[in-house]
Order: sequence, then C-alpha cells, then structure tokens
Amino acid sequence: MTSPKILTGNFGKGAQELSVYKSLGGYANISSRLFDLSQFELIDLVQRSGLRGRGGAGFPTGLKWSFVPRNTPKPVYLVVNADEGEPGTFKDHFLMLEDPHRLLEGMLICGWALGVRTAYIYVRGEFLSAIESLNKAIAQAYAAGLLGANIGGSGYALDIYVHRGAGAYICGEETALINSLEGKKGQPRLKPPFPAVSGAWESPTCVNNVETIMALPWILANGPEAYAALGTAKSPGTKVFSVSGDVKRPGVYECALGTPLMEILESQEFCQGTEGELKGVIPGGSSTPVLTAEEARKANLDYEALAAMGTMLGSGAIIAFNNKRTVVSMLKSLTRFYAHESCGQCTPCREGTGYADRVLSAVTKGKGRDGDLELLLDLAANFTPTTICPLAAADAGPIESFLKKFRSDFEAEIARNPERAEERLNPNFRPGAFW
Amino acid sequence: MPKLPGPNSPRVVINVDGADVEVPSDTNLLEALRTVGIETPHFCYHRDLPLSGNCRQCLVETDGPRGMALTIACYTPIRAGMKVATPASSEKVKKARKAVMEFQLVNHPLDCPICDKAGECMLQENYMQAGQGESRIREDIGKKYHGAPEHRFEDAKHQDRGGKAVDLGPRVVLDEERCILCDRCSRFMHHVANDEQLIISYRGDHAYISTFPGKQLDHPYDLNVTDICPVGALTSKDFRFKHRVWNLKRTPSIDPTDSLGTNLWIEHDGGRVYRIMPRCNAEVNRSWIANSSRAAYAALGENRLLGGYAQGKAIKSTDAMRSILEILQAPGKIALVASGHLTLEDNTALLELKNALGDRATVYGGSWLPVAKPDSIALSGDPVANRAGVTLLGIADNLDQLISDIHNYATLLVVGNDLWGANPDKAKALLAIPNRIAFSAWNDATVKASTLALGINAWAEIRGAMINSQGRLQLLNASPTAPADDLEPAWKVLARLAGTDWETDIQAWAATRKRIPALGELRYSDIPSEGVVLKLDGGKV
Repeated sequence: MTSPKILTGNFGKGAQELSVYKSLGGYANISSRLFDLSQFELIDLVQRSGLRGRGGAGFPTGLKWSFVPRNTPKPVYLVVNADEGEPGTFKDHFLMLEDPHRLLEGMLICGWALGVRTAYIYVRGEFLSAIESLNKAIAQAYAAGLLGANIGGSGYALDIYVHRGAGAYICGEETALINSLEGKKGQPRLKPPFPAVSGAWESPTCVNNVETIMALPWILANGPEAYAALGTAKSPGTKVFSVSGDVKRPGVYECALGTPLMEILESQEFCQGTEGELKGVIPGGSSTPVLTAEEARKANLDYEALAAMGTMLGSGAIIAFNNKRTVVSMLKSLTRFYAHESCGQCTPCREGTGYADRVLSAVTKGKGRDGDLELLLDLAANFTPTTICPLAAADAGPIESFLKKFRSDFEAEIARNPERAEERLNPNFRPGAFW
Repeated sequence: MPKLPGPNSPRVVINVDGADVEVPSDTNLLEALRTVGIETPHFCYHRDLPLSGNCRQCLVETDGPRGMALTIACYTPIRAGMKVATPASSEKVKKARKAVMEFQLVNHPLDCPICDKAGECMLQENYMQAGQGESRIREDIGKKYHGAPEHRFEDAKHQDRGGKAVDLGPRVVLDEERCILCDRCSRFMHHVANDEQLIISYRGDHAYISTFPGKQLDHPYDLNVTDICPVGALTSKDFRFKHRVWNLKRTPSIDPTDSLGTNLWIEHDGGRVYRIMPRCNAEVNRSWIANSSRAAYAALGENRLLGGYAQGKAIKSTDAMRSILEILQAPGKIALVASGHLTLEDNTALLELKNALGDRATVYGGSWLPVAKPDSIALSGDPVANRAGVTLLGIADNLDQLISDIHNYATLLVVGNDLWGANPDKAKALLAIPNRIAFSAWNDATVKASTLALGINAWAEIRGAMINSQGRLQLLNASPTAPADDLEPAWKVLARLAGTDWETDIQAWAATRKRIPALGELRYSDIPSEGVVLKLDGGKV
C-alpha cells in the first residue's frame, strides 16, 4: 500500500526556496481557504481529521487545541516542539531541513485557529543546519508578506521566532521546554495548570510537535475526511519514521499508520531488509519497550496495535538490531542516557536513574551478582508512578522490557563473575543500626 | 506559597483510609491531613516557601478518573468526598515512600555520628517513618566522590567542589554529599530573600548547590537556609561542631533587638545559650529570622555586667544597691530614663519608682538609635523592641528634652538604655549631672560613663512582655542561662528601690495591667505563643 507523502513529499525538491515551495502548491492555504474559517470551524476540522500529536504521546491535536481558552486577555502562544532528543529519532531534523515552509504554513493555520500572534519554534541547539534553513525560510516568508502584519491581506498578524535550545533531552517535555524558552532551567513544571491554560509567561500556550504542525497544510487542502481515510480508524493519517540500526538503508520514511513494522524494514521502498538476523526492534524511540524479532513480525505501526503489545509508537524511531549486538550494552547505553539527562528534580528519577545505571555498569564490567536483575526490576517499578514527568518511566520501559525479553543475555553476563553468588550485603551493615 | 488552613477555613468531609474526616478545604492535602493528626513525611515542602514538589516523599493515593493513583500530598487540592489512602491502608503508598526513601539515601553518606543536623534531621525522622529497609546499596554503586580528597574537582566556575566543606560565604558551609537537592535553600533565596544567590547547577544526581561565579552566599537572612535544610548539607559556621542538638533545651522568646519582635527559640544547655532559632509565627516572622536577631545570643555570654561598679571599680552588688539608695534619698532632682529595650514590667517598675520619689523625679524615654526601613521579611528596622509598649505606659519620647533640662538634675538613673552607645556626642552632655546611675545587663558605654552601676538580667533570663510594632503583645521567657546567680531582673531592682513588695514577675505584671487598660485581666498563661494583638481603641482583649 503506497500512501500519499503528506510530509515528506517535498524532500529533495529544493522546497527550502519559497518559490519552489509555492510552485509545489505551498501556501495555497494562506488565502480565503483559511481566513474564511472561524476558529471553531478550524478546530472542528482538525478534530475530524483525527490528527494525533506526533511527539510521542499521540494526544488528539484538535482536542488539545480546544483546551486553549478563547477571549482571554492574555496572549496565546504557539510553541513548536522541535527539541527532538529521543535517541533514535531524527525525523523533525529532516522535516525542518527539507521543508521549512511547510512548518511555517502549518503554524499559520494553527495560529489562526488559536488566535496566536507570537509563535516560537524551539529547536534543539545542535540542529544548526535546520535552524539556518528555518531562519532563511522565515526571512523569505516575511519578505513575501506571509508572516508579520496583515498576512495575505487578511488583517491577521503572526510573528515567528526560532529559539535555540541547549540540547537537553528533558526540554522536549512541554513544560520544561516552556521553562527553557522563558530563560529558566529546563525542568518540568508541576501540573496542573497545563500549558493550554498557563504556559509560557503564564499565558495560554499550545505546544505541538513539528510533524503534527506540518500535517496541517495537507489536511486543510485535502479535507479532514481524506486524512482520516488514511491509516487506521483510531490512528489516522501518515507518520514519519526514523529508522536506524541494522537495516540495509536507514533513513526517514513516511507511511500510513497501521503499516506492518516489517514492511518498513524489508520493503524495497523503505529499508530494503535487515542486516544479519534480526534480534529485536525498539519501535518508537529509546523510551519505548523493546520488541523481540518474533513480536516485531506481528507488529503494526499504529498507536493501538503497539499499545496492545505493551509498547508504544512514541516518536516513530525504529531501532532494529541483529543477534550480533550485545543487548546488555545496548541497555547500558540507554540507562546511561537517562541518568545523564535526568533534570534532577524528582528524587526517584534523579537518584534512581543513576543508581540503575551503576548497577548495570557493574554487570557489564563482569561484576554483576545474583539478584542484580531483581534489583533493577524493582528500581524500574519504583520509577513509574512517582515523578513529575515521564523521564524516569522512560528509563523503566527499556529496563523492564530488555530484562524480560532478553533475560538470558543478562544472566550470561552476570555468570562471567565468579563471585556472583557472594552475599551482596554485609549482614552486619544496617543503616538502621545507627539510628 | 502554599495556602495554609486558618480558623475560618471552610470545612469539608473527605475519606482518609476508609474513615470520613472533616478537614479545611482551602489548603493542600498535606496540611489538611496534619489537621487530623496525620503527619506526611516530606523534604521539599515548606509552609513558607513556594511549592516545588520534587522530593516525592509525601506520596499518597487519591481517587481520580483512573481510580486510585499516587499523587504528592503537598500539591493535591482538597475536594469534598475525595478518597485518600495513606500507608496506614495502602501497601502501594508504603512501598512508594520506602522506594523514595531508598533513592534519597543512595547518594547520602552515613555520617550521622559526625553530622551537626543529626537529631533534627528530616532524613532521619522520615527514615524512621517511611524507610527502615535493608540496604541494597553496595560500595561500588554509590556516588564516586564522597568525601575523598582525590574526588574533589574544580567546576566550570573555578569553585572547589565535591568536598565535605564547600565554603559558600561568610556564614554558611555546604557539605555536598549530604545534599538531597530539595531546592529549599534556593527557593528561600529567590522568593523570600529576593536575592537569587543560590542555584542548583547541573542536573540529575550530579547536580549541586552553587553560587554564581565569583559570588558568595552573603545576605542578612542567609542563615535561614541552614534551618530549612532538611539534612546536614548547609550548616552555620557559627554553630557547626559546637553542640549536639539533642542536648539543647529550648525556651520560646522574642527578638529584643527589633520592634517586630521576631519569634525565636533560645536554645541552651548547661546554662549557656548555643544558638537562636526561628519560632514559626505566621503573623509576625513566618519561619524566618534575620542574622542580626540570631547573633543576639553571642552577646548573652560576653561583656556582661556582673555585680556592681563604682567609679569603674567592681564592688559588691549589695554595696552598689546601698549607695544607689543613698543617692536617691539625698535631696536633688532625679532624671529617670526608661528603656524600650526592656519589658513592660521593667518600665512599670520604673514608673513605680517615680511615684515613690514624687515630684523630685521626672521620667524620660526614647532612644538615640537610628531607625531603618522595614525589610518585609522579619525586621521592622526599629531597634527599640518595646517602643509601642513604652508609649502605652505613657512614657514620652523626650530624650532630647533631657539634654536641655540637664542643669535641673543632681542624679541621672538609666535603666537598660545605652545612651552613650547609641549617640556618644549627645550623651556626653549628660556628664554634667554629678550622680550617674546605670542598670544594665552589659558593661556598655553608659556603664563606663556612670558613677554607679549595677548588673541586671538580660532578656533571655527573664519573663516579661513587650508590644511589637504591630501592637502585638508577646512574651519573653526565662531560660536558665544567667551568668551569675545574684543577677536580678530590672523590675525587681527598681521595685525594691521604690519600696514595693514585689517578689514575682506576676506581681509586676499585675501592676503593668493596671497602667494599661487594654491588657484587661490578661494573665501570662492567657498569652498564646503567637502573641495577642491589643485593642488599643479603648477595648479590652
């Protein structure tokens, strides 16, 4: 099944240039097609399209927009989350690099729907080329009267700023992103209030992923029904996947949601097969629980099908690995990542991610002991419901799934330690005894 | 700042561990549970700081759209009929709290035996309630730099890090490995002190408390961070290694150096005051106390006037009393100088002495100390603590008048009012009075300029009342810390000179009540710990 290339259609065509983008049909929406719609009609249209947030959680976009208050005395902000930091994910980088005007067009649509006058694109600091491409596109759009005051003669005004993040993973969490945008330390806020009510500078703020916003021009041009017809009933539309790992042709691929995972990995259109014998697949970015090769063969890429398998679609970062890879070191690099990226607010995450990483580090160094796996599982279980944001839970996902699905690999690693059965505790050493 | 329940809070019924209880509804769950006797362990929550919600120790289960779920009590609003499960009924909560406690301890050293906070450490207290597990931490998975000199490092700002004693400023030391990153200190500096001198640098478990490059923690309120630090990470250079806190006894009192009358604890042991700690009073100083109020303890053991002095030479206090009595009985006019640094009882006794001396004596009052602006934290800026009380007793602020009347007098009697210390230029005119008598707790400039002097008890050693700048009557209490056994309170010495039969402070208080109608029939035991605001428009309390 070949689905239309809603988001990646302009790749390689030089659409960074405004004239090229326009000749490919771009900015056709910035006309009476958009400005004749009321806010309600536009939000309703997006709700009917069934578009869901592409940042990872899959929250219905139209519903999120409907939470933003109308007729508020405060300004409403749109913040595009381009702080793509999930290991394995690189789609937004390419989307911004190849087709920045589509993002601007999408932001104009979202901005009109929510009454936004000022919008920000919060870009991960390392994406220098993408930032360059965005800034160039923004300059061109201003020059062409597509941004600034009185856009397209409609009287609508929108200013877009590119804000460079400093490369913290946690700033992909929307409230941490807002803190960072405000110039504060990028740490998630307590919720409620949610950003839709009180976000940037305590004003209503809509935070959407790059890919979500970039789907809007197509939806407006082709109608919500056309978009909803793609993909599955509950996960309509197309999704851009970042495929990496042991595949013949890693890259950014767009296909309809509900496409079998193996089709992406093996079809000629996409990855053209795996390298070596497939051992497992991380389906949606490093935070999502891993699938074994067997599970991967049955998996379909949509929110519901993957949730039913105990994992998540996430940001669509597919990492395939073959049986030559050491899963213990793979998990170790993930736990190291989360320990390094924990923002340091909540105790379980701040202390626990490092704790788990050091336990696993001992295992990879041949110093694992009996009971370490149970300890890791218990730590992971203690992360889950107890923190402000899901970073610790994102660490728990891989720990639990790797240990469950590849347990023998870990046991083999621990078996390297001749002293593995030694009492892990000194029975005389009890902290309580002092107190 | 979290909303705290008050006497007028609307009340609703919620279900805690299966039982319906009535709680105030305008606060958070942690405070509401406290009103029904359920203490929830916590670290980052502080009633006078904005919420942070980072320690996760106060987890409870509440019912929500997806059933019972773990939430932090400090950030959960009260909803009528809500279901709450504490560890008493929920194994899940018990396990979650235990897990958080384990995480807190992963990188916390086990150096309680040498820690100044031991005994008043929230980590110890919460461990006894929420933790108590077998340690699963082994030597090779702890944080790496604990205390070992080879693990010290210089951070990006060229500050010495990783140590057991990081110098943050003139008064505060940081022990980095004890820090549990609860964020209380930086929130205090940001939101209360309004001077963001402390920040948390870096993130994750490699985060640490820091100042800005080249800057120090140096603020008139910076020692409060050592009080609110739930562990022994921030300690005061003045108090560290001085005394084990469980040996300290505490006496509630108020600050005698400022007219806000900041509520405080005098913490003493073996007759010596070791430190002064803030005493929470939501209406006066919340939980805060200025460094200057805290430093007042040091003076209690320094430069005290013990016994009597005549022409600069030590004499017996009985001899001093006899000489003073002789001078007062001799003819000649007497100027009595009252003091806003002393209690209502002391000044009442001075008025009794005036009555006894009749027309020969005139009472002057006031102070030459400069008055600063209020800082809206815990200082009014007026160093005369009982100025409002002295005014209520009808004593005028007329020290300058005394200078112009100077040639009328043969005798000057000053009680606890360091005129020479406050303004030596103005005070030197008083040397024209031949007999100069001073009652003072300290061997101060006024004592040195006097012909006769007698030591009295300092503020920490007496019971007595003062009225602060808000019109609030507050009590000082006596801690057993007088440096000499024969020291007496000022009211007692003055009352004896006046020829009254007062033996106890209760009698002095009764006389005070007669002079201030607003005090009504108030007894010492009727004055609540947070003080009582007087109705000064003629009404009674």
